[in-house]
Order: sequence, then C-alpha cells, then structure tokens
Amino acid sequence: MGLPEEPVISISGLWMNYSDRMVLRGIDLEVYRGQIIGYIGPNGAGKSTTVKIMLGLVEGYTGTVRIFGRDIADGDAAYKRRIGYVPEIAELYDSLTAREYLTFIGELYGMERTEADAKAERLMDLLNLKKAYDMRIASYSKGMKQKVLLISSMLHDPDILFLDEPLSGLDANSVMVVKEIFASLAAQGKTIFYSSHIMDVVEKISSRIILINGGDIVADGTFAQLQEQNREGSLEDIFNQLTGFDKYRDIAGEFVAVLGEGAPHE
Amino acid sequence: MNDFWVLKLLDRLQGGFRRAGVDYKMLRSILQVKLTMDGRRTPTVLRTQKGSQGTEGSPLRVQWIYLLLGLMLILFVVPGSNYMLMMSVLFAVIMFMITTTLISDFSSVMLDLRDKNILFSKPVDRRTLNMAKSLHILIYLVTLTLTLTAPSLVVALFKQGVLFFLVYAAMILLMDCFILVITALLYLLILRVFDGEKLKDIINYIQIILSVGIAVGYQLVPRLFDMTDLTASFQPAWWQYFIAPVWFAAPFEVLVGGNHGVDFTVLAAMSVIVPLVVLLGYIKLMPLFEQSLQKLAEQGAAGKENGRYSGLLSGWLCRDKAEAMFFRFTWSMMRNERDFKLKVYPTVGLSLILPFIFIFNQAWTSDHSLNTESKAYLFIYLCALLLLTAVQMLRYSSSYKGAWIYTAIPLPETAPVYRGMLKAVLLRLMLPLFVLESAVFLWLFGPRILPDLAGVMLVLPLFAVICFRMLPRALPFSEKYEAAKQKDFTGSGFVLLFILMGLAGLHYVVSLLPLGIYIYLVILAAVNVWAWRAAFPHEGSRPGQIPTLGA
Repeated sequence: MGLPEEPVISISGLWMNYSDRMVLRGIDLEVYRGQIIGYIGPNGAGKSTTVKIMLGLVEGYTGTVRIFGRDIADGDAAYKRRIGYVPEIAELYDSLTAREYLTFIGELYGMERTEADAKAERLMDLLNLKKAYDMRIASYSKGMKQKVLLISSMLHDPDILFLDEPLSGLDANSVMVVKEIFASLAAQGKTIFYSSHIMDVVEKISSRIILINGGDIVADGTFAQLQEQNREGSLEDIFNQLTGFDKYRDIAGEFVAVLGEGAPHE
Repeated sequence: MNDFWVLKLLDRLQGGFRRAGVDYKMLRSILQVKLTMDGRRTPTVLRTQKGSQGTEGSPLRVQWIYLLLGLMLILFVVPGSNYMLMMSVLFAVIMFMITTTLISDFSSVMLDLRDKNILFSKPVDRRTLNMAKSLHILIYLVTLTLTLTAPSLVVALFKQGVLFFLVYAAMILLMDCFILVITALLYLLILRVFDGEKLKDIINYIQIILSVGIAVGYQLVPRLFDMTDLTASFQPAWWQYFIAPVWFAAPFEVLVGGNHGVDFTVLAAMSVIVPLVVLLGYIKLMPLFEQSLQKLAEQGAAGKENGRYSGLLSGWLCRDKAEAMFFRFTWSMMRNERDFKLKVYPTVGLSLILPFIFIFNQAWTSDHSLNTESKAYLFIYLCALLLLTAVQMLRYSSSYKGAWIYTAIPLPETAPVYRGMLKAVLLRLMLPLFVLESAVFLWLFGPRILPDLAGVMLVLPLFAVICFRMLPRALPFSEKYEAAKQKDFTGSGFVLLFILMGLAGLHYVVSLLPLGIYIYLVILAAVNVWAWRAAFPHEGSRPGQIPTLGA
C-alpha cells in the first residue's frame, strides 16, 4: 500500500472535551509502519480517549484523524477491518464459549466461519488453551480471558493493533511469548499502538515512546532520545520528571507515618 | 450455538435487507450470538423460585408461565358483551406483564455497554448494527406477546369472529410499539436526569415489582373474579383518557360493539395516534439515546452512606466489637447488594400482603367479619416468612469472592458474626415490616390486640434463631447465588413453616386463657435470652472454626 514513508496513522489538531473537562488539547501525531508505539501517561491523561477516537467509539472531536490515508469521519467503517483492538477492561461476551466468541469476532471482521474457527483453535492451542476452547469464557481466569482478547484482536491479521494493557493478568512465560509476537509483527511491518502503566515493559518493547499529560504530547521519541533530552535514568524516572511528579518520597513517607498512628492494638 | 428458527425465517427476507443497505451476513451472525446469549440468562420470573440449575437456561421454561397466563386471559374474550370493561382489564394485564418483563429481563440487552467496545470497534456499519439491535428487541417482544396472547387470539377468532380477531391483533401490535417506545423514552429520561447507578436501581425495583406482582396476582385474580360484577356497565370519565389500556379497549366497543359515542371514538383514535406519535418522537431521539448510554459506564458518585443509624444501633444492641462490626457489615451489604434485594424484597412484599389476603379471605367467606372475638390477627405470624427467606439468602452474594476476607482476618470465633448478622436482619428488614403491619392490624382490630402484638414481636427474634439453627450454616455473603444448593432448603423450609404455625397455634391456645398472654410474654422473654445464648455458645479462642467457604 503506497510508499513506506506514508504514515499509517496521522492525527492533526485533535481536540476533545467531555461535558466538564478538556481531555485532548491539540494532539498532532504521525505513526509509520513497523513502529511499536509505547503510549504512556498518567491516569486520565487522554490515552484511552485517543485510541477510542481512532476506533470510532467516541465522537464529537475536532481535528482530523486519518488512518491508512483516509479520514475516519467519512462514515465508512471498512478501515476497521485492518485494525485489531484489545480494550483496557476485559470486555467480552462471556456467556459464550471461546469457540463461539472467536468465530463470531472473526465473522465480524469479514472472515469465513470455518476459517475463523480453525485459525482460532490453532492459536488457542499455541497459548495452552486447547482444552478451554469449548468452555464458557465466564469460567476463565483473568489471564485466560486476556489471551482470548489477544487472539480476538489478531485473528484477522490486522495491520494496526491498538492494545490497552495487553499483558495484564498473563504469567511471565505468556508475557514472553506475547512480547515476542509483537516484535515479530512489527518486523513484518505492522504497527502496534501500546498503552500501559508498566514502564519497564514499555521501555523494553517500544521503538518509539509518546508521553501525554493533560491532553498534550509532552515527549515523543525513542527511549534513547528521551534519555538525552531529559536526565539519565529509567523510563519511570523520565515519566516522573515529565509529569512533574517529584513528591513520591514525601507521599510514601507520610503514608507510612499515618499507618503507625493511633493507639496500638493487641 | 443453535440455528434459531427466527434466523431461518429472516433468511427468506434477506433480499429485502440487502436492498435496505444492510449487511445481511453480519446481521445474521450478530443476531445468532445475541439469541444464544439470551438462552443463557435466567429470566426474573423463575429466578426467585429456583436457582438456575441447568447450565443452559432454556428460554422455553419461562414461556410456559406466560402461556399459562395467556390461557387465563381467554376468560376475557369469551363473553361477547361489555367490551370496554373486559378488554381494558385484558390490556392492563398484558401491558403489565410485557412492560415489566421487558424492563427486568431485557434492559440488560437494551443497555449492554459491551456492545459498544466489541461491536463498534469492528468493521460493521451503523445501519447493520441498529437493524440488529432493533430486530433483536422485536424478536423478543413478539415472542413474548405471542405466547401471552396466542390462546386468547385463537379463541377470539372462533368465538367472536374475524373482525374482533383483526382488531385484537392490530391493537396488540400498536400496544407493543407503545410499550417499546415508552420504555426506551423512560430510560432516556432517567439517563438524562440521573446517572447510570440510578437507572440500575430503578431496573432493580421494577424486577421486584414484577416478582411481587406475579405472586400477589396469583392470589388476587381468582378472588377478583368472584367479587367483580362483570356485567357492570362502563361509564366513561375524563381520567380514563390517561389510562393506556382503556384506549386499546375502545376500538372493540366502536368497531365490534357498534357503540359510536364520542368518548369511545376519541379513545379509539388515541389508541392508534398515540403509539404512532411516540414512535416518531423515538426515531428522532434515537441518537440522543445512544449518547446517553455512555453515561451508564461512567462511575457516578455513588450514594453516600455515613452509617450513622447502623453505628448507633450496633452500639446499643451488640455485646462486643466483633458483633457490632458484623452488624454494620450486614446492614450495609443488605442495603447495597442488588441481588440480595432482588431475592428478598419480593418476599418483603409478599410478607406484607399475605396476612391481609388471609384475613380478607376469612372475612369474605364467613359471615362474622372482624368482630371483637376474632383471632384472625394471628395471621400476622405470616410476616415472619420474611425471616425464613432472608436468613436463607444472607449467605449469598454476587461478590462472594470477597469472602476471602473471613479467612484473612484474625477472627477468633464465628458466634459474633452470626449474632451481628441476625440482629441486622431483624432490625433492618423485619422490624419495619412488623411495625407497619401492626399499625394496620391495630386499626383493624383495635387496641385489644396490643399484648398479642407484643407477644409476636418477642417470637420474631426467637424464630430468627430457629431459622438460623435449622438452615445449613454459612458465613454471610460468602457463597455464589447460582450454587444449586437451594433445594437443600426446601425440606428445612417446610419444617420451619410448621414450627411457625406451631408458634401461632401456641399463641392461640394461650390467648384463650385469661391473662395467659401476659404470662406468655414473660416466658417468651426468658426463652429468647436462653435461645440467643445457646445458639451462639462462647467457643473460646479456637482458630480454624470458620466453616469452609462455598465454591
């Protein structure tokens, strides 16, 4: 599709306000093929809102959002066929079995039922869920649900993946598998848009990190670039510095002090 | 996943859908998934009676109940006169059933927020999604209406002729439109004015009303038939213009009965115009509805509870700190837990109504109505049925997993837990009900029954302890609702019922003796003290006394 230089996602002048507050104040962003974007920011910074706007879940924004070169406001939902999405809260129809759910999602993405079923079964098998394939999702553990969500987002081999805390609930081995999957997909030229609060993971897997705070982009670049622009240290340190949060020692100290107050009991 | 017959029916119409710009294949799979999920819900009507033992809650089960009700409706279409009265009552019953069922069982579908994340993020256009949603609700509504009205429709065709049948069918259709739109507009209004939490509460109350309505309906409807003079003529009055079932009855009077009075004609016109007008309004407001749905997801400021009452009461009534703690815990859980309310509040309604049903029943059947000698006030014992349900239900919670806290905290013994729990039930649920009931009874029977009421009041805590001892023991709010253990309770439930009747019988015997009731009061007080001590022995500090948590 076109030249590799053409951005896959291009956002310009994106503003969004909910009834009472501004959530996004003029985001400009261009994302290219093969990038793993670590999209980070404090709670309520507007991360999820950005992703939801790109998916067409939230309306009423100003500015333009172009995905695969087309303005998403033109009313044609076809662009979503090449997008996969893992929402933050594990929301799925959990009274269905994994087979029913994944086949359904595959169909929604325009796959044939038998094809979606066969593919989903193999993917479930690879993630050690073969036995659970015909069980109700409601009976799954958190990690198992997360795996089903991951499969449902990738089943149709999308070109862009939007992931909101995709590793939550997974055990260490599964985390390694999934991280490796992301890296391979990016090497194939797919784009991954990754938001998380776990800085260590973002630091390791992202090829580009975007930090937003109060609805603005406050940092954008590779981890090495961020380190140059700011003081040395981990991404966590940079995050603290850029979001103007330097009181963590004071708060922790006071917290512990409060714990010790009052009359001793037993 | 089944292939539903509705889908096969729709397959025949797929050409039409395609022409309307709907992606039929997508529409079909969405509907199939939705219908499959519906089959796995337990409808409210059955929920209060049995837990959903079968994993696959069949939608057919509930339809038997509606079919049964539908058979009862035949009675209204058989007499070929007085259409206005008969059909008004008929439509009132149908509207009540359909509206409450729609709200209680189907609001989760109308207001499903998962749809937004799961379906809207997929390449499915809005037109197909809206069509799927509308069709889904329509399928449900039509199935429900058909089961409810099919028997009377068939009978009407043969008994009253084609014209009546056609009018009936048309009115049912219009009524469905009306109900659907009014329900949606009601949601819209609530969502605009309040937050999502309030809407969930209101849905909860409607579920409760439905359960109480059906329970009471079973008792009252046959009696209504006895007492209502069905030949009474219908007198039009201005207030009837505001009662929807009357509109839908009017066309029968005009078209079938041949009564062309102004009132009837206007009412008949309303039955057509009002549903169509609200339908138009609804289509206009549809986008607003979708927007407001978002509010459901928002975490509204939940109602604050400062726990002042429970704090004060626990201070007065509880012996030690652990007991007071669990008193307050049970108090606030009973207040906040939706599923607990759904299970127990219908019994509150029933316990409130049952004594009166029995009293009036006696008053109607026997000539001596509530005279000075009557012992009918002993029916007040029936309100203790509430304790039976409440004590039985206290063990369940939808957030039963939170019960790990019992094992994690240093709890030396479980007696204070149970004592606090029982006291909370008695005070929060039983006492208000009993006071209300007593007030009405005092008004009915006069102050002479005051000592007897005091006696009943002393029996209640005693009965609570008996319930607690007889039913299998479990820590409050520590088990899952669906745990199919409820059948274990039927046996002990019957025994408890007999014990309650025995207590009432004892009271009857005592009340025959002169001054007997005062002696009985003293004995009851003593027994109470003994029972509360004996039921919760001081176990000493033995760890590991906590019963195993369910599931």
